Amino acid sequence: MNEASQSPKGGLSIVGPVGMGFLPQQTATWLVVRPDGSVTAYAGKVEYGQGIRTGFAMEVADELRVPPSSVEVVLGDTDRVPWDWGTAGSQSTATVGLQLRKAAATARQALLELATNRLDLPVTDLACGEGRVVSRSDADHGISYGELVARQSLVRDLRDDIELTQADEFEVMSTATQRVDAVARVTGRSVYSQDVAVPGMLFAKVLRPPSFGAKLVDLDSSVAEGMPGVAQVVRDGDLVAVLGETDEQAEVAAKVLRAQWDEKADQPSHWDVPDILLRTAREAETTQEVGSLEDGFRTADGILEATYYIPYVSNMPMEPRAAVAQWQEGRLTVWAGTQRPFGIRAELAQHFEIDEDSVRVIAPEIGGGFGGKSFYTVAAEAARLAKAAGQPVRVAYSRAEEMTWSTFRPAALIEVKSGFKSDGTIVAWDFRAYHAASGPTGQIGRVRGRRGSETPYAVQNVKVAVSFSDSPLAAGSYRSLGGAVNHFAREAHIDEIAEAVGMDPVELRLRNLTHPRFRRVLETAAERFGWSGAKPPSKRGVGVAIGLDVGSYAATCVQLNVLASEVKVLRVTAALDCGLTVNPEGAANQVEGSIVMGMGTALYEATDFEGGRVLNAGFTRYRVPRINDAPTIDVALVGDPDTPSTGAGEPAIVPIAAAIANAVFDLTGERHRELPIQRHLR
Amino acid sequence: MVSIHVNGQVQQAPDRDRNLLSYLRYDLGLTGTKPGCGEGLCGACTVLVDGQALRACQTTVGAVAGGSITTIEGLAQNGALHPVQQAFVDESAMQCGYCTPGFIMAAVALLSREERPSSDQIREALAENMCRCGTYQRIQRAIDRAARVMGGAGR
Repeated sequence: MNEASQSPKGGLSIVGPVGMGFLPQQTATWLVVRPDGSVTAYAGKVEYGQGIRTGFAMEVADELRVPPSSVEVVLGDTDRVPWDWGTAGSQSTATVGLQLRKAAATARQALLELATNRLDLPVTDLACGEGRVVSRSDADHGISYGELVARQSLVRDLRDDIELTQADEFEVMSTATQRVDAVARVTGRSVYSQDVAVPGMLFAKVLRPPSFGAKLVDLDSSVAEGMPGVAQVVRDGDLVAVLGETDEQAEVAAKVLRAQWDEKADQPSHWDVPDILLRTAREAETTQEVGSLEDGFRTADGILEATYYIPYVSNMPMEPRAAVAQWQEGRLTVWAGTQRPFGIRAELAQHFEIDEDSVRVIAPEIGGGFGGKSFYTVAAEAARLAKAAGQPVRVAYSRAEEMTWSTFRPAALIEVKSGFKSDGTIVAWDFRAYHAASGPTGQIGRVRGRRGSETPYAVQNVKVAVSFSDSPLAAGSYRSLGGAVNHFAREAHIDEIAEAVGMDPVELRLRNLTHPRFRRVLETAAERFGWSGAKPPSKRGVGVAIGLDVGSYAATCVQLNVLASEVKVLRVTAALDCGLTVNPEGAANQVEGSIVMGMGTALYEATDFEGGRVLNAGFTRYRVPRINDAPTIDVALVGDPDTPSTGAGEPAIVPIAAAIANAVFDLTGERHRELPIQRHLR
Repeated sequence: MVSIHVNGQVQQAPDRDRNLLSYLRYDLGLTGTKPGCGEGLCGACTVLVDGQALRACQTTVGAVAGGSITTIEGLAQNGALHPVQQAFVDESAMQCGYCTPGFIMAAVALLSREERPSSDQIREALAENMCRCGTYQRIQRAIDRAARVMGGAGR
């Protein structure tokens, strides 16, 4: 049930199953063609920068033969769109985009059939174009979609087997297209959850514990309650907040709350993490096993062993989490910029013991998330406070709260032992990864740590094992999950093999790669970059790495310089094969963004903590890439349009850290097995 | 009560100590100017005061009361995008868009004092603005494009 299925306005609705197999018994309206000729597509995904609103509009427009500007895409509002599990894993185009294409193609077929009576021609003599059905022999003999569906409410079942438009007939897809939301963004009209305001809304300032796990022992709020503009100080179990008429009044009053805390003693610090990862490792899981390592190492000409360490990093979206909650006659509405509006709806319903139908979660524009905003506790905080106050309440994180009380990409320690022939053929690959995996979202820790752990090289004897360890910080989802972490260790180690056998790193990779799509991205990137073979270190500051993530293949070459202990990445060439690339402009933008973000983790970023306190929860001590750090990035999109779309939002982050570390070695001869590199540069 | 000019209109602000960013967003409803860090380090809250870029989160209404403030909402004139806005659209110089207003305001300030900035000047002037989506290369291209468009019209 969603908005469109209840719509009295008529038109043609396409109804199909929701949830892509998660909830097969339910159906919802995916697409409506209205009597005015406009088209609305509904999807449970959210827009947090990745450009799916544009991509979905393009897919629907192409299948329906209408201009993209006539397609409205409604996203992320639980009252209006089909149920969805969440926007993560670069799955939107591959799954929901495909569903919308099928819905649009079903609608096109239905419109053709409706037109046979009106135009007195068989379907075979009709064609769709520019929002009209016309005679193939006389383009003036036709009827608009709006007229075909006027004054009636038609419903058709989405046909899963409907024939989709072939790649060579695309008029919109595969062509670089500007974002449909660009003008709203440049004029400040895009509304984010930080921007939502409703009448009577109070501003909350939540009292946060001084350290992780601290328990509130005593609270004296008498002074705060008498401060100007303070409506109320709410204490609801462990949740304490000042509600003010303005944001500043709430903040000032929160400073004079007198709280006594029982802090958790002996909490680990960031320098303890490598030891914790090894000491608490459990549930080792073999993700890949081929041949016999013993045989492999016995026949090897050389053996290398190395350990890699990747610290915690912060997702650090530009928009700190915020939520506004409003109760009206027992029904709760929450505006929350989450990647998981239906999941948050379920959590809220459970917390308040009400039906999910009594909760509406609206995800407006989202100012970045990169995986982390699946976890969105401010939604429940706002709802609890609004209930206590009997008035709408807004909760918004400060930057320090965002970098303390959200989640982190879990740290990992990875041990690699390789055996290889003197010609560069890898004959044994022993990869043991220890990923931090507990915390509030720890149940999916195993999914995270496994991602990207398998080697794509054609090695005869392989064992890849992933274990899961205690996580002192809240482990959460971050672009590519463990993909970028596992890839860093693997691709940095491959470079060490190239050094050991005295071989060019591109050549060594090609020697061990048989997969044609992988070979193509590597060859493309190397050629466009102008890679010329040499054994590392060649003193040129060039590095290469490859990656596979969410079904897409990536290869990256970088060139950098090091001046006064500052690594300066000069240029990057990346090749991506994500199959059919719906919007090359959007995909290239994602590749560029992945590279800049991954560059931050390679060079600067690490979350430091001590005694349950984050030490660098702000931009003075947590450096992220700025425009003057950014390299020139050349992107080659090499996907075959006849191959189904796979993800584009994450694959380019998986090779970049290793490519940078390898280039630093190529220039300086220093191996960096621990990130971020700039902390350890000699 | 203090008078303040915002986007060409005179507003009467009741509290001169009110944080400018909060005043613009929550009192005037001009939410295009964004909170990002509260420390003046990310540039999401950049506005123009008499044409100069200023971090709204780091100042008060009283401190800018004599000046003329322009926010992202006041940049387009008679429905036409400012050339910098148009250039950001043309170069798809955005993803999530949260930093976009701040970058655009900083770029407008740069182009008002430097008609044709070099790429180093662009990078230096915008180094205090942050885009976590990493669209820097596109932002740089957009500003370069806007400079060409604006220079062409002015000569």
